[in-house]
Amino acid sequence: MKPSTAHKFVGLLFGAGFGFVLAAANLHEYDTIHRMLRLEEIDVFLLMGGAIGTSLPLLWWLERRRAHTALGGPLRLSRSQPRREHVIGGALFGTGWAVSGTCPAPALVMFASGAGLAAVTILGLFLGLNLRAAHLRRTDGAATAADGEHREVVVGR
Amino acid sequence: MLVATFAAVLPDRLAWYLAGPALGLLVVGFFMVVNQPLGATGAYVETYKTVVREPGAVTWRMFYFLGIPIGGLVAIAMKDDGFVRRSGYDALRNEMSLGTTALVVLVGAVVMGYGARMAGGCTSGHGICGTAQRSPASWVATCTFMGAAVVTTLVIRVISGGAI
Repeated sequence: MKPSTAHKFVGLLFGAGFGFVLAAANLHEYDTIHRMLRLEEIDVFLLMGGAIGTSLPLLWWLERRRAHTALGGPLRLSRSQPRREHVIGGALFGTGWAVSGTCPAPALVMFASGAGLAAVTILGLFLGLNLRAAHLRRTDGAATAADGEHREVVVGR
Repeated sequence: MLVATFAAVLPDRLAWYLAGPALGLLVVGFFMVVNQPLGATGAYVETYKTVVREPGAVTWRMFYFLGIPIGGLVAIAMKDDGFVRRSGYDALRNEMSLGTTALVVLVGAVVMGYGARMAGGCTSGHGICGTAQRSPASWVATCTFMGAAVVTTLVIRVISGGAI
């Protein structure tokens, strides 16, 4: 199997796994997210805590062991110091998240669940992501160091 | 038929203490295979680049993007009442017309997308993958968007007179 084929397969598999868990826990429902953000229900906070509580120590241990990944060479985690983009971008993201009641991955599941309006959310997300990229092109801005994504999302070039 | 076969395999809602660690294991698994964070914003960006044939697009990320709704659909089909129970934007639709709801959702999503690209990640990229990598920037971004979302929700509640 060519590396790119393997990557496509792994991408599809992990994407499906991610979507499966989101849907199983009802994270694709506006009501679930809204109840969480209204602080009426603690479950989603606990879910995120459970995800971090599982992956953080495991990744730490694997990093210390100098683990090798199957397709990507030696495991390389990335850490960076906060910049104003993280704060301003985070504040904008949080505001939009509260208004539209879903974030990027659950929006895809929401659409799959038959909520047609989620198509508007997905369209808006693509628009917003590209607006930022266009802004950076105009201002010759530097890429944001982002630990979630920064190895692939190099913006501003 | 498929729906009927799978019905009631999954509970109405998978408990956080199962879904959380499952998500965490997916994050670790993705790192251990492709050495990448399991973030959704990157998938959107690379999918767009792939579709418009921008040079340097990471094309396989589109398969990750497509996998998310497929997996979601499978889980929904495995619940006892299949596709019936989804509420979508009903909470907003009960208070506003279809046009207004679409406009509100669109504006929210544009702001969310802009912010995600500015911060360099979203709920999955920063909120789970970044924090799990022990990155100070991700912890700051996560605390900021959590706080902003809670405050915005409170403001929406006040403006709508408690309706939303």
